[in-house]
This record gives sequence, C-alpha cells and structure tokens, in this order.
Amino acid sequence: MSPQGRSAGPSWPFSRVLIANRGEIAVRLIRACRELGLESVAVYSDADADAPHVRAADQAVRLGPAPATESYLRADRLVAAALATGAQAVHPGYGFLAEQAAFAEACLAAGLVFVGPGPATLAGLGDKLAARRAARDAGVPVVPGTLEPARFDRAAARAHMAAVADDVGWPLLVKAAAGGGGRGMRRVEHRAELQAAMASAAHEAEAAFGDGSLYLERFIQDGRHIEVQLLGDAHGTVVALGERDCSAQRRHQKLLEEAPAPGLSPADRTQLGELAVRVARAVGLQGAATCEFLRGPDGAVWFLEVNVRLQVEHGVTELVTGLDLVHEQFRIAAGEPLSGRVLAAAARVASPDRHAIEMRLSAEDPAADFAPQPGRVTHWREPAGPGVRVDGWVGEGTLVSEAYDPLLAKILVVAEDRPAALARAARALDETEIGGLQTTLPFHRWLVREPAFRAGGISTEFVAHAWDGAVQRDAAATVALLAALAADGPLKGPDASVAVTPGATPPVVGAWAAAGRLEALEGWPR
Amino acid sequence: MRAQDGQRPHRAVLAEAGTALDRAPASAGPELEGARSKVGMPRPVVLGLPASRAERAAGQVRREVVVGGWRFEVTVEDAARAALRERAGRAGGEVVGPTRLVVRAQIAGRVVSVAVRDGQSVEAGQRLLSVEAMKMENEIRAQRAGRVERVAVEPGQRVERGDELAVLA
Repeated sequence: MSPQGRSAGPSWPFSRVLIANRGEIAVRLIRACRELGLESVAVYSDADADAPHVRAADQAVRLGPAPATESYLRADRLVAAALATGAQAVHPGYGFLAEQAAFAEACLAAGLVFVGPGPATLAGLGDKLAARRAARDAGVPVVPGTLEPARFDRAAARAHMAAVADDVGWPLLVKAAAGGGGRGMRRVEHRAELQAAMASAAHEAEAAFGDGSLYLERFIQDGRHIEVQLLGDAHGTVVALGERDCSAQRRHQKLLEEAPAPGLSPADRTQLGELAVRVARAVGLQGAATCEFLRGPDGAVWFLEVNVRLQVEHGVTELVTGLDLVHEQFRIAAGEPLSGRVLAAAARVASPDRHAIEMRLSAEDPAADFAPQPGRVTHWREPAGPGVRVDGWVGEGTLVSEAYDPLLAKILVVAEDRPAALARAARALDETEIGGLQTTLPFHRWLVREPAFRAGGISTEFVAHAWDGAVQRDAAATVALLAALAADGPLKGPDASVAVTPGATPPVVGAWAAAGRLEALEGWPR
Repeated sequence: MRAQDGQRPHRAVLAEAGTALDRAPASAGPELEGARSKVGMPRPVVLGLPASRAERAAGQVRREVVVGGWRFEVTVEDAARAALRERAGRAGGEVVGPTRLVVRAQIAGRVVSVAVRDGQSVEAGQRLLSVEAMKMENEIRAQRAGRVERVAVEPGQRVERGDELAVLA
C-alpha cells in the first residue's frame, strides 16, 4: 500500500498497525494512522466492546475480560492479534505495556515493527533505576535516593530500605521501579509510616505494572515538575523539543500541563534540553521519550526519570512546535532520519512564540480528594473554536468503567502567549458540559483563574495546599437549586433525559403526565 | 394550569446535604441569573434523572444540575406538599440517637485490604479498609471515632457504589 498524507511521506515498511491500547490515546493514534494512510487494528476488552476506538479503527480484535491483566496487559494476545490481522507494526501508546521491554521483544520476535524504542533502550530507560544510574553516569544531577530495585515481599529488602531511609532523608517518596503516572508512589513523612506505605505502593505497582519493586527518593520541597520532550532517530540524532511544566498535580497525578514552563529564561530552557539529550544519548534513544526533572526553588534541576513512550501531555508540545509527534514516531519506526522540520523546531524551542495548556478531564470528584467516579456519561458537549483541541474518547452514553484510568478527555488550548492561553482555557472550560458523573472540570475552572497559578511557577504541592473542593462546590449549590426550580418545577416527566435550558419554555408534556400532575397537585392545600 | 404552576412555590432539595430552597419557578429564573453571575458560573445544565415509583407517586421529580462542572442531584416537589409531609414525619417520628454510622462505598471497586476487625475501637481518620478502583487504592477512613460494630466485607470482594462496608457504633 502506498502511503498518502504529506508529500514527504516515506514509503512505509508497514501498512497496517495494531493499536495496543484503549481510551483517548487509542483514538488519537488511529487518527494519526488515517492521516498517514496506514490501516489500524484496534484491540478491546469486554468492557470496551462498543468503545469509540473500536469503531474508529479499520478492524478490531477482542482480547479478553475487562481486567487489564486479562486483556490490555496480555502481550501474547496482542502479538497474536497483530499476526491474525496481518498487522506489521504495533503502537503501544502510553501505560499498559508501552514501556515493557519484554513486550517490545515479543513484537520483534514475531517479525512486527514496535513503534517505540528497542528492548535494550526500554530496559535501560524504562527501568527507572537503571535510568537513574545512567543519568548519574552521564553527569546529570540525580535526586538523592536508592539506585537498586527492592522487592517488598522479601524481608531482607524491606529491612535494607528501612535502614537506608534515614540517609535518603525525610520526607521521602516510595516509588515503583516499573511505575509511572503516580501509581505505586507514596509520600512518607515519618519513619513510622514507611512500612505501610511500601506495602500499599508495592501492591498498587504489582496490580498496575505486574512488578512490585520499589525504590526511595528524597522529596524535594517546593519543587516544580518540568519535563523535556525528546525525539531520537535510528541514525543517532537526538533532539529536545522544549519543556512542559506539569507541576499542577494531586496525589502525584498530573492535572494540567503547559508549555513552555513559565518564568524560565532561554538559557534555562537550553540547559534543560542539553541535560535531557545527554541522558537520551547515553542509552541510544530511538523514538519519542520524555525526560522528567524537578526544579528546586533555587533553580537547581534534578533528573527524575525518563518515560520512553508518548506522554499523555504530548499535545502541548505539538501545539507549540507545530509538529505531530505520533507522525514522527511512525517515521522514526520506518527508519527515516529526523526531518528538517523536526530539527528546525528543535532549534526554536529556547524562544517559543506561543503557549499551550492541557487540562485533563477525568472522572474524579475534586471535592472528595479526587476519588474516582465511574459511571455513565449522560450529557456531553465539547468546547470548540479557535485554538482549542480535544483529545477524548467519550460521548453521550459512554460507560466509564472502574477497571481503567479515569481520563475522559484532554482539553488543549494554544494562543500567542500565556495570558491569552489562560483566557482561552477559561473560555473553553465554560463551553464544556458533562452530565452523569462528576469530573475534574470545576477544578480546572478554578485553577486557570487562581492568582498564584496565573502568576506562574507553582510547585507540585500547590494544588494540595490551595484547592478546597468542598468550599468551591458549596458556592455552586444555591445556583443548582435555583436552576432546578427555574427549569420548570416538578412538572417535567421523570423519564426526561434531554437538557433543559433554564428560563426557556418548558417542554411539551404528554397527556398522561399532565393528567398525573393534575391529580397530584389539585388535592393539596394552597 | 401552567401559569398557576409558575407562581406556586416549589421546593428543591439537594440530595447529599438536605439543603432546601423554596421558590416559585417564575421567580427562580430571574434570581438564578443574579446568583450565577455572583459566583461566576456559566449557564447550568439541567438534566432529568429517573425517579422511583414512590417518588413519582409523591409528585417528586429528580434532576441532575451541573453548575460550572459541579454535579448535583436535586429533588423538586410542591412546597406545600413537602411541608405537610415534614409535619407528618415529625408528629409520628421517634428520637433516633446518633449512635450508628454506616460506612458505604463511594465508588465501585474491589476491597484490597481490611485494617480493622469487629469490636475494635478506632480514632477519627483511622484507616478502615482500602478499595481499589481505576487502578488506584482508595483508603476508606473513619469519619469519627468509635467502635467497629461490624466489618461487612473481606479482601478480594467486589463492592458496588452504596454497598455497606462497615458499621461504626
């Protein structure tokens, strides 16, 4: 099959791609396949049989029951699905098996192109501890902590971690060696809490990644989470495509990301990019990766980890650079050298001429410590208009299962500078309507108006300190009561599921409902 | 009948807090505009919710109202009728002491671990058990100090939203 799309498109060594993921990222990858003239094969669990990514792809293969361990984490079934459908390449997305060297190896052994780094790089960078050692060896400052994985289920390892914890310093973070996205991570204030935190982190890591190994890392007070987007080709070229500030976090989960990071000088940006490239070169990065740093209040930067995959928040870099990182991933997998377009974008990142923000819309209750809110979406209206991009997977009627992560959609905005991007974000959020489950929408409405956030440079602890969801929610309660009363009183049929605009003409009521209402109301005293 | 409905006070009650507001629909509309501009909220979304047979029989309507992304469940009914029922309830009611607290699952998921046993005394904020949902462990803590009268679940068990997890006495 000859590739279509851009004039400079390569002659693809693959024409059909298995998308080994679900949710918004599967939809986003399938869109890229369409743009590049590649066919797509979706995979799904029983919980996702009707999911949008299944409908969007050219064909789809069932993997198994809803639990990820029986579906999206089954490397054998994914490889079998690729072979059965004649796919020649596999894109893992993020999460699930994206950074498992064994999965990349299984794909290569089956003669499939793995759209990502080779197994050796995954083992070197995807293993967070190996990455920490590699960064240290490359002369990049590393956050103090342990450098070897420890199995919590072994008493000797437990005792060793307890013994070295004092050297690491308090407070510290217990982290999953195979982790990402804040899973299997716990902040520990005191020695007494260490064992319980390790037990719970190991369990969560085991469930999420199939590996409960842990390590310890000092908690840098008032640090900012700043990360650098990297691309490396098969010919040894590695470039940094600018940084993203992901300091708006709760429970170690990113909530909002932006590029560029506010308040950094061109020299700061260049330095971050150089450190990131140094780490990537040390392990021979091929594909897309993100190098994460902590930036202390004094401006010192510490290497945290490298994620050798597409990042959830890759879109903000795309909006600032004008590149499509998924397109570039496919070109790199096809053996193409990084294009002049990519090199030119890399040369511009120290002085960006626009600002992008991503807000993660998740099924979580921001008034209840961001507890997950699985359920059915009964009403869905996305924002649109200039400078707005929505990467999502849900619509009216979508069942959001508790079996997977709660991300519903990413609302991205881009504008000429940060104040304009914040105004655009506020506008886009006010256009967004979701019913059926509580989401993080009100949190984002608050954050983009919050003075300290607007000033720029918040730390990763800011949200936990400044956000009071209950207070914010209470402020809306009276409006909700008035809206319910103004809608049309207790007159509308109880089975109505359509949106009613307050103050508008009440909907026409059926004869049976009118009769029932008369009966109900007329017998009562005035 | 419709004009009359618009003038007649209705009562809206928030599902979770019991907060109530009485207004005639005709006056709630103008007041709404002022209230939402005061807190800087966009136009609310009002959706229908299924009502039980008993609620329908009582002339109650359930609505979901989303204000600035906050989701509320509201029951609306005739105010006079609600007042009457309240009086009836008070007259026949009995004093129910604040003795027992049923801890319910706020999310569907799987019980990962149980940290307390029947009869144990707990402090406010002490971890009772953990429920895994959406790949995160969620700690369920005691809302107040007391004695664990009963733990209703065991590790590995699936729970649905609203299921009883434990009872504090």
